[in-house]
Amino acid sequence: FPPVTENFAGVIHGLNASHLTDLVIQRSKRMILDTLGVGLLGTSTEVFHKVIQYSKTYSSDASSTVWGHLDFRLPPLYAAFVNGVAVHSMDFDDTWHPATHPSGAVLPALIALSEALTQKQKFSGPDLLLAFNVGIEVQGRLMRFSSEASNIPKRFHPPAIVGTMGSAAAVAKLLALDPFKCKEALAVAASYAGAPMANVATPTKPLHIGNAAKHGLEAACLASLGLQGNKQILDMESGLGAFYTDYAPQVLPTLKSYSWLLDQQDVAIKRFPAHLGTHWVADAASSVRKHLVKGDNSLPINGIEKIVAKVPDVGYMNRPFPNSEHEARHSFQFAVCTALLDGSISVQSFSDQNISRPQLRELLKKTQLEHPPDNKPSFEILYCEVNVTLQDGNVFSERCDTFYGHWRKPLSAEDLKKKFHSNASQVLSAEAAEGIMETVDNLEKVEDCSVLNAFLKGTQSAKVLEKICSF
Amino acid sequence: LWETVTGSFASFIHAVQPEHLSEVVLHRSKRMILDSIGVGLVGSTTHVFDIALRYCQLYASNAVSSVYGKKGLKLSPTLAAFVNGVAAHSMDFDDTWHPATHPSGAVLPALLAVAQMLPPSAKPNGLDFLLAFNVGIEVQGRLMHFSTEAHNIPKRFHPPSVVGTLGSAAAVAKLLSLTRTQCANALAITASLAGAPMANAATQAKPLHVGNATRLGFEAALLAAQGMEASPLILDDLPGCSGFSAFYDNYQPKPLPLPANSHQFLLEKQDIAFKRFPAHLGMHWIVDAALSVRNLLINYAGSFSPALIRTILLRIPVSKYINRPFPESEHQARHSFQFNACTALLDGKMGVHSFTDASIHRQELKELLAKVLVEHPEDNIANFDKMYGEIALILENGDVLTGRCDTFYGHWRKPLSRDSLLKKFRSNASHVFPEDKVEAIITIVDNMENLPDSSYLASSL
Repeated sequence: FPPVTENFAGVIHGLNASHLTDLVIQRSKRMILDTLGVGLLGTSTEVFHKVIQYSKTYSSDASSTVWGHLDFRLPPLYAAFVNGVAVHSMDFDDTWHPATHPSGAVLPALIALSEALTQKQKFSGPDLLLAFNVGIEVQGRLMRFSSEASNIPKRFHPPAIVGTMGSAAAVAKLLALDPFKCKEALAVAASYAGAPMANVATPTKPLHIGNAAKHGLEAACLASLGLQGNKQILDMESGLGAFYTDYAPQVLPTLKSYSWLLDQQDVAIKRFPAHLGTHWVADAASSVRKHLVKGDNSLPINGIEKIVAKVPDVGYMNRPFPNSEHEARHSFQFAVCTALLDGSISVQSFSDQNISRPQLRELLKKTQLEHPPDNKPSFEILYCEVNVTLQDGNVFSERCDTFYGHWRKPLSAEDLKKKFHSNASQVLSAEAAEGIMETVDNLEKVEDCSVLNAFLKGTQSAKVLEKICSF
Repeated sequence: LWETVTGSFASFIHAVQPEHLSEVVLHRSKRMILDSIGVGLVGSTTHVFDIALRYCQLYASNAVSSVYGKKGLKLSPTLAAFVNGVAAHSMDFDDTWHPATHPSGAVLPALLAVAQMLPPSAKPNGLDFLLAFNVGIEVQGRLMHFSTEAHNIPKRFHPPSVVGTLGSAAAVAKLLSLTRTQCANALAITASLAGAPMANAATQAKPLHVGNATRLGFEAALLAAQGMEASPLILDDLPGCSGFSAFYDNYQPKPLPLPANSHQFLLEKQDIAFKRFPAHLGMHWIVDAALSVRNLLINYAGSFSPALIRTILLRIPVSKYINRPFPESEHQARHSFQFNACTALLDGKMGVHSFTDASIHRQELKELLAKVLVEHPEDNIANFDKMYGEIALILENGDVLTGRCDTFYGHWRKPLSRDSLLKKFRSNASHVFPEDKVEAIITIVDNMENLPDSSYLASSL
């Protein structure tokens, strides 16, 4: 068998636009749109502000757009970093199976780089789509090298491992590196991979995606300058295998008729900014609420004796009294209570005010988690059951197996656009938001994908819009 | 005061003062600083350094920090740290500690860059610099004691990329006088930037591990200074949700004692090994063994005649990434027991020039390599405190000559003399500087404690 590493390099190098299926194109455009929206919204977060301040220290020969900011630019490395942080800042970005957040690690790097090189080279929409999908595909394939990866992670945060590798692959594709350099890009990227789970539910978590994008970009650039690493990086246990306890790498399918993972396995798109596990909880809790409350009335908190949420056993999601937005986004209990109280969870649910509401704290005190043995910590099979016991003895129970937005029940095109619009309009004008939607919708036909950056900056010039919309 | 392990580290970094540095620690750390600089200077002539530099020049703004050996060229501080860190490890010529890591290259470049970055009113003096340096070394040493795995030559993650990154964060946090909370956050943020797999050792990418350690730790400290927060329990044991423990199979973290009146630095009890030639530390045992058996052969036969040798038997510990019968590149050659043994036998000495392409591909060397067999005696443990190197030359006529080295010259049990250390430094630094500049650097480091502005050291490089 050929070494897996060499095989990956060959495929990264050899894939071209004709390999992209319609379904893959459609799904990846949805992912691109969602990621942009989530990133734009994320530029309003505190963590984003901190990384901006930090990155500005490197700002001169700046040549890439910071999403939502007309006022300054950054070198591509740092633009990829801050935009990646923005995408993951609120845990609002896409999730795949096996679990990782694929798009945020790849898209910011590609957009930043394509813009930086715009004087020397034009990248079309199809170029971007192809490179994007290479980045997604590589992540998916790498995750299948370990059965550990199928479950919600415990040791390393997946975006920091496969995301870094995916970013390197995507950039290698965009730069049209030869197979040798594609291989070296992967090898060098491995030395940047990996971040421990303990930083999840802290402000540093978004940096995992920012760094994945940044370091993958850096690795590919170093490879293109001739840097070499271990040519069997994917094959060896002391290579990418260092991050896993069981590691069984496999070669990619032949290019003759390439079968993309995204074709077989869609992503989940979040409806509100919190860990994916909370989406089952929210749907179950909202359903139970309907039994408890009629019309516009508020929840009879005092009438409730006990709330039980049956969820999988995931240590870092078990937070009875979260104190920060980052903790709240990673708390089953918070999700149950917010959905019961308000009927649904939204961006605003995580404001400081809402996190510390007395009514919410009341409900949290009555909430317990249970971990039925058949409820496995895998986004493919987990479920949530919410039982509310009233003072009068009545018990109401609802269960959610598949929330709306999960890959088994994908968001409609309309709802996806609604989410994007709601996010983007926090920082962009209506025209710019429209411009992005139009551009991504027609990405296969776009001649110069750096137009996305004009919109991402927030320029509202109608002239730009006109120029773009002449597909 | 019950404290988490993470908290104890933050307290230490924050509270330790120059007065806590003992004479021994001061002395040893200045030797390390000098050696690290020399090694970095010669490293600035390598190909891998060239690539790293060209890359960083794309992002060159805020260029205030010096690059080893490149007069007039400045880069932004973290990128300067990056390239200088790459230089330090580019030839595997930098210091090694026990448990195994390359401590100085992960710390010094960042500190030099910081010293230049700080405004004139806040320039750290030489003693501040020495303190920060030792904080960086100490933290690395303490972290390595959290796992028995760390005692032996590594298999999974390359230690500088794990502990080195945190050491750099700690050192920079100290030099920037961050608050205790910021120190804790610096460590935690860094954990998310640590860890590179061993497979890239013996490749051109390995030097990046040290370059990134010093740079990313530096970045993490800067982020912490901006208010970035991360897990307050990053060094503690968190079952089900790994922190720093993610990098180890067994993990028993221990708190650092609070400095109070006196703190015993690990460097006091456990010195560093300095390399005499640019190759993996393990090679130094086999080379000293080879040199001794070479002398035996010369006494026996009148001269070194390879034709007399039927077999060269190496008795070495088991360690896959340094067992290479026919290395093809300089990076592989630096990580090959076989190559180093045969080169020492052939030439009677080892130096920077032993690893050029011409030297690596010599016919006479290849012929010797073809005679090598390897054995792994059970008592030869892959551990820099316990291993030995033994060579048996089995001659055509059946006679056997044996050489053995338990402690090579430069190991912590047999440290380089001041003369030898200076000789190494002069030899390295003269690749890029004239004699007077070389001597000037020696003088500055020698008198480090009395230097009013430590950025002076950085700008003289």
